[in-house]
Amino acid sequence: MQVYDAPLRDMRFVLNELHQDDGFGGIPALEEFTPDLTDAVLEEAARFSREVLAPINRSGDEEGCQFENGVVRTPEGFKEAYKQFAEGGWTSLASDPEWGGQGLPEAVSKLVEEMSCSANLSFGLYPGLSHGAAVAIEGHASEDLKRAYLPKLVSGEWSGTMCLTESHCGTDLGLLRTRAVPQEDGSYRVTGSKIFISAGEHDLTENIIHLVLARLPDAPKGVKGISLFLVPKYLPKDDGSIGPSNGVACGAIEHKMGLKASATCQMNFDDSVGWLVGEPNKGMAAMFTMMNAERVSVGIQGLGVGEAAYQAAVYYAKDRLQGRSLSGVKNADGPADPIIVHPDVRRMLMTMRAYNEGCRAIAGWVSRALDAEKHSSDPEVRQRAADFTALMTPVVKALFTDLGHESAHLAVQCYGGHGYIRESGVEQYARDARIAMIYEGTNGIQALDLVGRKIGAHTGRYLRSFFHPVSAFIEENSGEGPMKPMIDGLARAFGALQLSTATIAQRGLADPEEAGAAASDYLRLLGLVAMAYCYARATKIAGLKLLFGTEEKAFYDAKIKTATFFYERILPQTASLFLQIKAGKKSMMALDQDAF
Amino acid sequence: MSDPIKKVCVIGAGTMGAGIAAQVANAGIPVLLLDIVRDPADRNAVAAGAVAKMLKTEPAPFMSKAAAKLVEVGNIEDDLARVAECDWIVEAIVERLDLKQQLYTKLEAVRRPGTAVSSNTSTIPLDHLTEGRSEAFARDFLITHFFNPPRYMRLLEIVSGPASDAALVARVSDFADRTLGKTIVVAKDTPGFIANRVGTFWIQAALNAAFELGLTVEEADAIAGKPMGVPKTGVFGLVDLVGIDLMPHLQKSLTETLPKDDPYQAISTIPPLIGTMIADGYTGRKGKGGFYRLNREAGKRKEAIDLTTGAYRPVITPQSLPGAAAKGDLGALLAVPGTTGAYAWAILGQTLSYAAGLVPEAADDIVSIDTAMKLGYNWNFGPFELIDKIGAATLAKRLADEGKPVPAILTLAGERSFYRVENGVRQHLGLDGDYHDVVRPEGVLLLADIKLISKPLVKTASAALWDIGDGVAALEFTGKMNALDGEVMALIGKAIPIVTEKFKALVVYNEGKSFSAGANLGLALFALNIAAWGEIEKLVAGGQEAYKALKYAPFPVVSAPFGMALGGGCEILLNSDAVQAHAESYIGLVECGVGLIPGWGGCGEMLDRWRSNPAMPKGPMPAVAKVFETVSTATVSKSAAEAKELGFLRPSDGITMNRDRLLADAKAKALALAEGYQPPEPPVFRLPGASGRVALEMAVKGFQARGLATDYDGVVSGFLADVLTGGEADLVDTVTEADLLALERKGFAKLVRDGRTQARIEAILETGKPLRN
Repeated sequence: MQVYDAPLRDMRFVLNELHQDDGFGGIPALEEFTPDLTDAVLEEAARFSREVLAPINRSGDEEGCQFENGVVRTPEGFKEAYKQFAEGGWTSLASDPEWGGQGLPEAVSKLVEEMSCSANLSFGLYPGLSHGAAVAIEGHASEDLKRAYLPKLVSGEWSGTMCLTESHCGTDLGLLRTRAVPQEDGSYRVTGSKIFISAGEHDLTENIIHLVLARLPDAPKGVKGISLFLVPKYLPKDDGSIGPSNGVACGAIEHKMGLKASATCQMNFDDSVGWLVGEPNKGMAAMFTMMNAERVSVGIQGLGVGEAAYQAAVYYAKDRLQGRSLSGVKNADGPADPIIVHPDVRRMLMTMRAYNEGCRAIAGWVSRALDAEKHSSDPEVRQRAADFTALMTPVVKALFTDLGHESAHLAVQCYGGHGYIRESGVEQYARDARIAMIYEGTNGIQALDLVGRKIGAHTGRYLRSFFHPVSAFIEENSGEGPMKPMIDGLARAFGALQLSTATIAQRGLADPEEAGAAASDYLRLLGLVAMAYCYARATKIAGLKLLFGTEEKAFYDAKIKTATFFYERILPQTASLFLQIKAGKKSMMALDQDAF
Repeated sequence: MSDPIKKVCVIGAGTMGAGIAAQVANAGIPVLLLDIVRDPADRNAVAAGAVAKMLKTEPAPFMSKAAAKLVEVGNIEDDLARVAECDWIVEAIVERLDLKQQLYTKLEAVRRPGTAVSSNTSTIPLDHLTEGRSEAFARDFLITHFFNPPRYMRLLEIVSGPASDAALVARVSDFADRTLGKTIVVAKDTPGFIANRVGTFWIQAALNAAFELGLTVEEADAIAGKPMGVPKTGVFGLVDLVGIDLMPHLQKSLTETLPKDDPYQAISTIPPLIGTMIADGYTGRKGKGGFYRLNREAGKRKEAIDLTTGAYRPVITPQSLPGAAAKGDLGALLAVPGTTGAYAWAILGQTLSYAAGLVPEAADDIVSIDTAMKLGYNWNFGPFELIDKIGAATLAKRLADEGKPVPAILTLAGERSFYRVENGVRQHLGLDGDYHDVVRPEGVLLLADIKLISKPLVKTASAALWDIGDGVAALEFTGKMNALDGEVMALIGKAIPIVTEKFKALVVYNEGKSFSAGANLGLALFALNIAAWGEIEKLVAGGQEAYKALKYAPFPVVSAPFGMALGGGCEILLNSDAVQAHAESYIGLVECGVGLIPGWGGCGEMLDRWRSNPAMPKGPMPAVAKVFETVSTATVSKSAAEAKELGFLRPSDGITMNRDRLLADAKAKALALAEGYQPPEPPVFRLPGASGRVALEMAVKGFQARGLATDYDGVVSGFLADVLTGGEADLVDTVTEADLLALERKGFAKLVRDGRTQARIEAILETGKPLRN
């Protein structure tokens, strides 16, 4: 059963306690967002998720989006929910005040994102894409375009999309064919077909602003000949109201495994008027601004679904009575004990819990870096924060979505046969979570990004932003004491990571396929070490709280127990990953292609 | 070889004459530099002015201040008779036959018979120069054609006439080779000799083709640069460098003197744009700009000229060439479709067949032509080596297919290559159709030749050990840029027992672009970015151990640097028993520049040699201060001679002028030391400790107050001061070599963890320029 209630206490822990000395320092521009204020935001977001978004999650999945005569209708209740969402100011949370946004730190808005992803992943996609489009426009478009489009995107009156994929090219965008022809007035005419366009067409907003990758007539071949264009569904008039239709049409919507309440459209642009965003032939750079922001958000989707799945599983594990505990009867009054007494059910629940809290801790760290990158007054800090987000973006995207997907399937498993039945609500999580591992760059591509572009950049400088804090933490906390087993475990895993990093850098130079073969394992290894580091810090904080006395003993006690489970039952995977990486590409590439 | 040359007279103090005089002085030979009298009140002003100007020129024509003192200036009116003091007279006056002949007439009257007279002409045939001269003069006369700048360009073309005395020509050649360090190419008395004739043709062909095919200068240079193994400036960049206004001069002198049917005549038109550029003062880097310019008004924007409109526009990076074509596969380059392949063919087809047609007209053999182009124009490969890359038969076929004449030597080669290795000996194709050994001048020993006939005794990923004969082994660095890393140290570890058992001595030598620019900083930075502190400490300690093991090994170690020997590359010299350095050695401990301190024993070795310098005042502080000054400022010597002044070389260390003779000289030095060799005793120091450190820190504060040193410079030099003053020691304590090594390790370990050091290392790796943070 879908029972989502936002884990506010853990969110506040991540926001206000865990990362206070992460080296990114206080950020003067964000000081007005005091814990009191952000608490209120989180409380309200939790209420909205619980009362407005969660109730239409399963119904939306059952009903799906409908396509008729070029018009897409979202499921019952979505239009009203979106109206409330926009009116409540949720679309403008993290946007720049210059365009009507509230300028809330990413550290807060990412938590709000997590809540909406938990409550209703399909719904979250609509405003999520608008935000990504706004980021790209803000970063690269002309002042005129910004003035014309940003306020309405930020307010949620209009929504946005990103149109990359074509039927013959997804990962390899160099092959794309949509073309843009310059006009005398400085605009362009865009013609072509795009597929898999989330929120390409729907009935939530009066206008939809498409960011479209296309080729100019004289563009070089490949990815160096791609430009980015802003193409509205309706051309706005000078007063900002909706003008004539712009030759943008939805040809069909996809029938998908999950995420059914999100419209995934085939979009046709027929001589549609558009404007260049950024420089000619530099579209990939502009698109990547949006893509990088989106990739972190997709990671949050994985976490969101994982959390919802965990809560559903806990509900059922306490409710469902089957068998008796191996250590003796626990529910003498009932016909059987709740299944939560069984070690294997515990294994699943603790795994999900450890994943979720670990991912949330990493997300909090990365979000703080996003804030520091944008707002810190110290250029050295901005640089370090930018390095850190560059490094961690593929990790957040791939690790969180892999683990979210795993959690969703563990939840189905906890439900047993009922989990396989639609009415239970948990199989929806498994279907919804699946796409996050694929879109915005498959997780394999994320891993390649990490080993191909991030490890070697500036002779490993991005790594410094992560490796140095971990190394320093291990040095500072070494020695006898209650933390010793954990620090020893962290040091071992970190050593495996260091050695793997050096190995990949060295082998990859001579043979890029070696780096490719190690990529996914390496991403997981780095992710687990990041999680271990966060858990060690959390344990230290919790330990001190318990030592000096706290009214929230249960919370901190649980934190340490979850951390200990992670260290004993999940972190040892790093040893296996190390061996896998060390083995190299040989056995992976040995089988002759014809033998497949 | 009778009558060695003990004094030289250079007449004509222009760029070439003055530069030649400087190089003679660099070799330690006194030289008389004469020019005309322009100011009756200051009769030597022209020559004296030339010397004064050279003292301020960069790159410096003089290798040391002492060398400059060996140049005596005079004028041809008062001092011409003094040529009788000299054993060789070099004429380097303006390129006018009448003026040269007038001078020779006067010289004939005053010179000692048997004194060699040579002209540095680049355009006038020898038979014109000796016209009307006595038989005795003609016997002593030859052309010695230096390249600009004479100190740095290794090529010397020597042309003798039918009347020239072979023994005298040999004496001058030998002097130019051993003493001046030049590589001699014997050229025939034909216009432009070898290098300028091929070079001018090549430039002209490349410029014309770029105009004809409608390429941008960037596109042209991207093709006619690195992919062809010529300097990456490409042709337009090269012409900017030497001066666009030189083009019409070269063109005129060649068209006037070459036969009418020479292929150069057909291509020797100067494109109108170039005429306009010269007229408007756009003569290249020395003028307002050339094909490229830095637009200072647009914030130092790099711009290039549009060859069609003549207007400047921002530089456009051309599309990169396909992999193999970019990496020097000429076949792949020629096969690139479109203008790229067409341009490559226009240059290579014309230039290589032109060069191939010059044997035997301009040179007796193909080796001379290849050597001239490699050393005179800095090509990585000579024309015949380039033909081998394409294939002589392939080239001949394409020429024939296009109805172009095929040079006889290409036909002679047929399916064969111009060079081959037979039984470990490099051979070239002769005009008789047979292969002949490439003969090295006597006393030249090259590792490249040894490698053809043997395998390394032992090797690792970054170094190898070779048997170079007569009981001497050579340790070669083989890593990228000869960078030093754990693999080099591992090889030292493996080499010591082998050399101990089977050899008398070890030479540290290689034939890369430079001896070594020091530790592999990329590797170090990556290691410290991933917080692999243990690895860094291992690298430092391992290097110390390896270098000290070399120092105390039971055999002598002679290092033979050339080019850059920096950081760890300098420290291996400091730990050697002796050094035989090429004159062009740029030596220094530059660690402070990247926020580090010498970590492989450089501090102690420098202290040891400065304190034993008899010129140093008494007490522990002068040597400490001297080393601190040199090392904290990351001073690099601009020559081997200057390295002696800075203490990187000992007074007893040798200097070799000719790069090709370096290994043989180092080997001889090693063998000389091997007789009754005893390893050195470890030094023991008395160092000033804290009080000395305070004095050094005060000095740094002074620099900081004057804005000459940054805050972080202060931090870095503080660690250096700590090592040099002996850390916690004071004067009553003795400080051992091991103590100093421990202090080096301690300082190094602290510095690598500082973000500012990390930023400095990153900057030097990414920009090549030091970061002053």
